[in-house]
Amino acid sequence: MKRLRENEHITGYVFSAPFVLGFLIFTLYPILSSLYYSFTNYNLMEAPRWLGLANYERLFLEDDKIGKSFQVTFTYVFASVPLRLIFALFVAMILNTATKAVGLYRSAFYLPSLIGGSVAVAIMWQQIFGDKGLVNSALSLFGIHSTTSWIGNPSTALWTLIALSIWQFGSSMIIFLAGLKNIPRDYYEAASVDGANAVHRFFKITLPMLSPIILFNLTLQTISAFLTFTPAYIISRGEGGPLDQTLLYSLYLYRKAFSHFEMGYASALAWIMLLIVGVLTLLIFRSSTRWVHYESKGD
Amino acid sequence: MKKVLTAVLMFSLIGSLIGCSGGGAAETPASNETGTETPPAAASDSKDPVKLRIAWWGGQSRHDYTLKVIEMYEAQNPHVTIEPEYAPFDDYWKKLAPQAVAGGLPDIIQMDISYLNQYAGRNQLADLKPFTESGELDVADVSENALSGGEVNGKLVALNLGVNALQTTFDVETMKKNGIDIPSKEWTWDDMDKMGAQAKEKGLQIGGFAYRHDVFFPYYLRTIGQKMYSADGKTIGYGDDQAFIDYFTRYQKWYDNGYILSLDKEAQKKGVAEEDEIVLGNSISGTGWSNQFLAVANLVTDRPLELNPMPGPGTKDGLFLKPSMYFSVTETSKHKEEAAKFISFFINDIEANKLIKGERGVPVSAKVKEALKPLLSENEAKIFDYVTWAEANSTQGDPPNPIGAVEIEKLLRDLSERILFKKISIEDAAAEFRKEANAILARSQQ
Amino acid sequence: MTKSRRILYHTLVGLFALGMTYPILWLVASSLKPNHEIFTTAYSLIPSRLEFSNYATGWKGFAGTTFATFFTNSFIIVIISTIGAVASSALVAFGLARTRFFGQQFWFACMMITMMLPHDVVIVPQYVMFAKFGWLSSFKPLIVPQFFGIPFFIFLIMQFIRTIPKELDEAAKIDGCSKYGIFFRVVVPLIVPALITCSIFSFYWRWDDFINPLIYLNNPEKYPVSLALKLFLDGESLNNWGGMFAMATLSLLPVVIVFFIFQKYIVEGISTTGLKG
Repeated sequence: MKRLRENEHITGYVFSAPFVLGFLIFTLYPILSSLYYSFTNYNLMEAPRWLGLANYERLFLEDDKIGKSFQVTFTYVFASVPLRLIFALFVAMILNTATKAVGLYRSAFYLPSLIGGSVAVAIMWQQIFGDKGLVNSALSLFGIHSTTSWIGNPSTALWTLIALSIWQFGSSMIIFLAGLKNIPRDYYEAASVDGANAVHRFFKITLPMLSPIILFNLTLQTISAFLTFTPAYIISRGEGGPLDQTLLYSLYLYRKAFSHFEMGYASALAWIMLLIVGVLTLLIFRSSTRWVHYESKGD
Repeated sequence: MKKVLTAVLMFSLIGSLIGCSGGGAAETPASNETGTETPPAAASDSKDPVKLRIAWWGGQSRHDYTLKVIEMYEAQNPHVTIEPEYAPFDDYWKKLAPQAVAGGLPDIIQMDISYLNQYAGRNQLADLKPFTESGELDVADVSENALSGGEVNGKLVALNLGVNALQTTFDVETMKKNGIDIPSKEWTWDDMDKMGAQAKEKGLQIGGFAYRHDVFFPYYLRTIGQKMYSADGKTIGYGDDQAFIDYFTRYQKWYDNGYILSLDKEAQKKGVAEEDEIVLGNSISGTGWSNQFLAVANLVTDRPLELNPMPGPGTKDGLFLKPSMYFSVTETSKHKEEAAKFISFFINDIEANKLIKGERGVPVSAKVKEALKPLLSENEAKIFDYVTWAEANSTQGDPPNPIGAVEIEKLLRDLSERILFKKISIEDAAAEFRKEANAILARSQQ
Repeated sequence: MTKSRRILYHTLVGLFALGMTYPILWLVASSLKPNHEIFTTAYSLIPSRLEFSNYATGWKGFAGTTFATFFTNSFIIVIISTIGAVASSALVAFGLARTRFFGQQFWFACMMITMMLPHDVVIVPQYVMFAKFGWLSSFKPLIVPQFFGIPFFIFLIMQFIRTIPKELDEAAKIDGCSKYGIFFRVVVPLIVPALITCSIFSFYWRWDDFINPLIYLNNPEKYPVSLALKLFLDGESLNNWGGMFAMATLSLLPVVIVFFIFQKYIVEGISTTGLKG
């Protein structure tokens, strides 16, 4: 225990050791390999053959599915992430008290997130948005007789996926709940004494105090929305249809990698995605200095 | 509670810290020495214990009976232990790919026709010819036609386990009740038009090709003496786009007239028999492979369904026996001979096939087929009869699809959607299909 | 809250919650329906008769391997992984959030990148690597990496640590605490909600993960529940839907119970008191 002398560099590395070692042992090699593949023609059965930038050229110049796929993916991300976060925060605020009933409610709201991406979800989603589904039955109560399948209709298919994503807001909700818990009570008490109303308290205390957690949720939800695969896969049976309207980028990538055996090209796709998500994340971080409030300032 | 929790946390934190510096470092160097490879087996004397790995895709019933067949084989060959690996179809291929890269494929893998060239063309599969010649893999009762479906570049890389043939399913009772003419075995596309019109009048539909133009367009090409792919697999096989235009013009007519299911309803289906339009009572017919008949017919308990050939003219040229699935022995297997023996048992042994009961397609061995007949259910017997009829009324199948075909099938599917949604004219689609498909084939040959 | 407002609150939230549980009710209902009814009356939540035998036929599993085996495997993988993931992530998070060391930003960037790269393109090299380690067909590729910090959890815990006033560290330092002491005595008790949150997520994600077991496990006797559930279905034959839904329902139980027990620790327990003023 002699090493416990306060050398921050050493202390820092001792604490970070699990990640640093894990990264070097388990992660670095696969990541670098995929980067290398992206410059090769690699069909998995034979050794990769060097192509230089050809995969990237094909991606930007020749592949006419890419544009569609970007459009679908960006729509998905920019529609689902904000809605999901607002919804999650709203519900978390409502449920941020400690009574028995609220525990049950919390579980109820989290349940949809637990059934994940199984076949069951696919079948159930069909029951809701299919031609004879709940949505159409509900519409007919209002005199609107629709026989379309929302899943199969090119103009609505993507929105059913977005609905699915918003509906599974449970994980963001829990993170917000934990964040709300961490806000010191006496802040609110002091504000109440000053006569601040609920709206005021929300904007002056809750939002700033919660901002690190909002940053977390925003970043991680954005990343995971870009990488969304399972819902699109199970609902369109891996096809991305109709008319490529649910051809999320990861779905396209998966098809290239494991169905068309073009691992080289798939890797190029992956690294372009990494670049895009990376730049977006960087932008979020840059902007965060303006709106994220750290209690532990002075870092 | 809180104290306990903190204590547990602390404990595991310390544990993880120790764990990482020790465990990680120790494993890395050791890897090069031992590796995953087992030392090459000495010339396999049948007395030496042999371990075979075998992989397949399927559902619950297939897993169950295959395991029983394996047990049966192990009991008869005590020196062999067989380790099964099974997964659903999509996941199966995702599981095999990394194994192929790492040189660790199982000894025997179940193979599908659309992946055959991918694996065989790149030397992952062993040639079984030496074993059929030496008799360890007994194919005496298997027709040449059935065997040739597993040949790639003159090598027998996959052994056919069963055959299917394209068919139309008729709901005869519903048809009679509604005064719809039941076509004969020698029916034509025009008859199908008529059937569609009659069904439509009664508020019913006929079964379209769903999204499976990758199956039915090549069938149509065969009936007019053309092929989907050229013999060398480097280009599209038909010379004139008129074939594409004729095929889709007819299909579009069915679609626009409402003879067949609309695409949005088609798109929401999960590909299970329970949702079949005949089962739901909406459709008087359906099209598909002969094995798909069973699940549908078993679900329709109150009226009989019948199998009929696909429409012509040129039905005989169009029809062929499609290998339903294969067993292949991998090139990396250390026990190719033992693996071949197991496959031989699987296709020839009567007792084993009483368990299999044609679940992997109508058996390729004539003897097995004969022995199974008394055991079949009514619907199973219909399939056996139809395939037996098709054997005499079909022609040699096309060679396995070239590499890149999976992508071309997807292209065809996408174009068919765009045609039916009127986003592209059939003429333009025909030209685009040729251009794109040829580009895919050219790229895949690299 | 006044009484009438409380009633309004419980009515609205209760109804909303009930709506959200529709999928679970549907799943449970389907697990009790006769096999053919699952599709024909999918919209109905009430089976025509209760088919409890679905649970028996489902439990039997495949070829003699029952769900008892699959559940045991899941519990082994999930519990060990979760402990490893949360504990190691907490350490790393403290390192990245509360100490300053050479290369800190670099490692943080590496961590973010690992989250951004689509998994599909690293599956193959990762498999080759674990094959070289000789770890195939064992739980090691599933469990061991969990002990090296999970980026999602690290970042999450970091954000929570950052909401803790630094004055607390300073105070502890004056009391003679080292960084290690600060971590264990000051920070860990304060981030219990975050650790619980991570545990809930880790438990569920490991429980639900089937891709890694699919790739790394060969022997079906080592399969976890998530993978076993997929073995029921096959496009071309008649499926045991009832059995599949019955086991899907059962497999939800552990995650629901874990959530229900742990969720109250997110909101209850000691509260941070600000050191303001």
